[in-house]
Amino acid sequence: MNFSVVTSQFASLVLQGVALGLIYSLIALGYTMVYGVLRLINFANSEVFMVGTFTVLFIQVTVLGHAVTREPMHGWPLILALALSLIAAMGVCALLAMLVEVVAYRRLRAKGANRLASLISAIGVSIFLSESWRIFTDSRPHAGPRLLEKWSFGEFHGANFRIDTMMAIFASLIIYMVLLRFVNGSRLGKAIRAVSMSEENSLLMGINLNRVVTLTFAIGGLTTGAAAFFYITIYENTVFNVGFNLGIAAFTAAILGGIGNLRGAFFGGLALGLTEQFASAIIGSQWKAVTVFIVLVFVLLIKPSGIFGEAVQQTRT
Amino acid sequence: MNKNLKRVLAVAIASGLALGTVGTTQASAKKKVRTVTLAFQGPLTGPDAQLGQDQLPGALFAIAEYNAKNPKRQVLLVKADSQCDGTVAANLAPGVANDKKIVGVIGTSCSGEARNSFPAYIAAGLPMVSPSATAVGLTDPKAADRGFPIFHRVLANDKFQAPALVKVGAKGVTSPKFYIVDDQTTYGAGLAEYAKPHAKKAGSIAGTESVPKGTADYSSVTSKIKASGANIVLYAGYTADAAKFFKSLRDGGYKGVIAAGDGVNTSDFPSLVGSAGEGVRLVAPDVPFDLLVSAEKLAAFTKTTGVKIPGLYVTSTYDAANVFLSCFDKKKYNRPGIQNCITNGTFDGVSGSKIKFDRYGDIIGGAPVGEFLVKDGVIGYIGIA
Repeated sequence: MNFSVVTSQFASLVLQGVALGLIYSLIALGYTMVYGVLRLINFANSEVFMVGTFTVLFIQVTVLGHAVTREPMHGWPLILALALSLIAAMGVCALLAMLVEVVAYRRLRAKGANRLASLISAIGVSIFLSESWRIFTDSRPHAGPRLLEKWSFGEFHGANFRIDTMMAIFASLIIYMVLLRFVNGSRLGKAIRAVSMSEENSLLMGINLNRVVTLTFAIGGLTTGAAAFFYITIYENTVFNVGFNLGIAAFTAAILGGIGNLRGAFFGGLALGLTEQFASAIIGSQWKAVTVFIVLVFVLLIKPSGIFGEAVQQTRT
Repeated sequence: MNKNLKRVLAVAIASGLALGTVGTTQASAKKKVRTVTLAFQGPLTGPDAQLGQDQLPGALFAIAEYNAKNPKRQVLLVKADSQCDGTVAANLAPGVANDKKIVGVIGTSCSGEARNSFPAYIAAGLPMVSPSATAVGLTDPKAADRGFPIFHRVLANDKFQAPALVKVGAKGVTSPKFYIVDDQTTYGAGLAEYAKPHAKKAGSIAGTESVPKGTADYSSVTSKIKASGANIVLYAGYTADAAKFFKSLRDGGYKGVIAAGDGVNTSDFPSLVGSAGEGVRLVAPDVPFDLLVSAEKLAAFTKTTGVKIPGLYVTSTYDAANVFLSCFDKKKYNRPGIQNCITNGTFDGVSGSKIKFDRYGDIIGGAPVGEFLVKDGVIGYIGIA
């Protein structure tokens, strides 16, 4: 146990934990949105994230021609390149998530298939995507170019307020706020909440169920795509199975916060990011996963539905 | 796989088939061309693929030389892609062991995959000569999972690499304060363990950390290293993780020395790590092939393999292949004969040294450990560490 690092690096661990946690949160929102509506876990979401990371690399390296060895960009070209990467990742992930819904869920739902069938078909899509990318890339890791020079706003008690970290934190907060507002305030958001409360009643009210479900998958894809963009911006690398560990972490975050609950996914991700950082620092990196799952089991023992409990769509928060 | 290597393999296979066809058609008239098969086992895909891809040309070149000299006895090479992953190796090894045509394994590249392949290869009596598996336990008489009697390696093990790593890391550093990080693999954990006493002797150890292979976020380790005041980070692991870790260190503001073992010394390291790799010091129990051979031989290597600059461990892979090929020269074509030949024989290394194995498979008299430096995005050889 090394508690001295907590005193000297407390602010740094918090900052890094928040940044990592918010990436988890964005992916967790993908899981929770789908669960909120269908009461099913979209296991392909981790591969949607993986495809998002490769999309960012494709845009930056192939489309923009920014090789790994090139110097960072500056000014408007940088802003446009980052915006294009973010939009492309979100767009591709949203489209892929909608495709997953059509392929793995819609037909089975229409035929009234067992929920487990949808679960297995989602796992099938996940394996298909992961293995396709493994073959396509020879399982090799891919480095991302450094578009954004990692300058710092300054240091505070060991915490380095780097541009990439701060961008990920603030953009994630904005995305979360926009999503909350959309789900709670918009007509489509209300439709999503209505479907999550009762599919039958929603149909009676004239809500197009397929449209709402597809939209929900698309929103999950959008947040997951944003997570992929921030992941590449900070860590600058990806590999065909990058989604596995992050997907497990995000799924854990969603469960920790209360699956189906937007606030739960958000704060669950934050809690997980911070727990991982402090567990690694105090106990050691080899105990990180063990600590996280001990915390998860402990929380679920006390509150089986997660920290924030039932679905936010039902509580209209 | 790079295009050149694909082309070479295609040519090799086509030549093999053509030779086989010629041999078959002429069988009635003349003596048939006989074949003998070796396997190369290492990572050819996966996160550590470059390690195997760098080595493979060494084996292909040695075999091409042998085949040119022995038109009636052609050596074929089977590729066993174990991805530097012990689990993959454990599943793959029984298939290689059961293929009776395979009389020897050039490999494995990584220590973990060697250890997990031993049960199948020992049971089948299939001899191995590794060009790069350096974990001490593989040849440790006291280790329960050693590779005795079938495992051999043509390079120095981590008992030699670890002090070299410490020495190279501490070079020019006043009051060395080490932080030793490993990736929890058979190779990484072992190298880190052997580095510790040498680091203590050279200065002090500010901390140690074991970060599982495949970890995405190294920021907490970076924070710990910064808080510890360490001025040298020693990393024992493989390229893909090293690239992520070193980026995190430099982006996190760490300004001290970074040094790593041979697992990181692959030709794709500079491109994966980017600018964070500048100045990284590397070691490996290897001397680059291009420094040991004549210009003519290097030209022949390039012509055969399509590789202009030989990567790390081409030398040792060439030597490992030649151990088997020397046994073929002595008319040993089956597993027991080759095993006996390797155990009792003395072989010529490309550097001019003699290769002879001790009872447990280590090279007698040791072998040099080289020092390397990443400069301007290229790994350059400095000299013997």
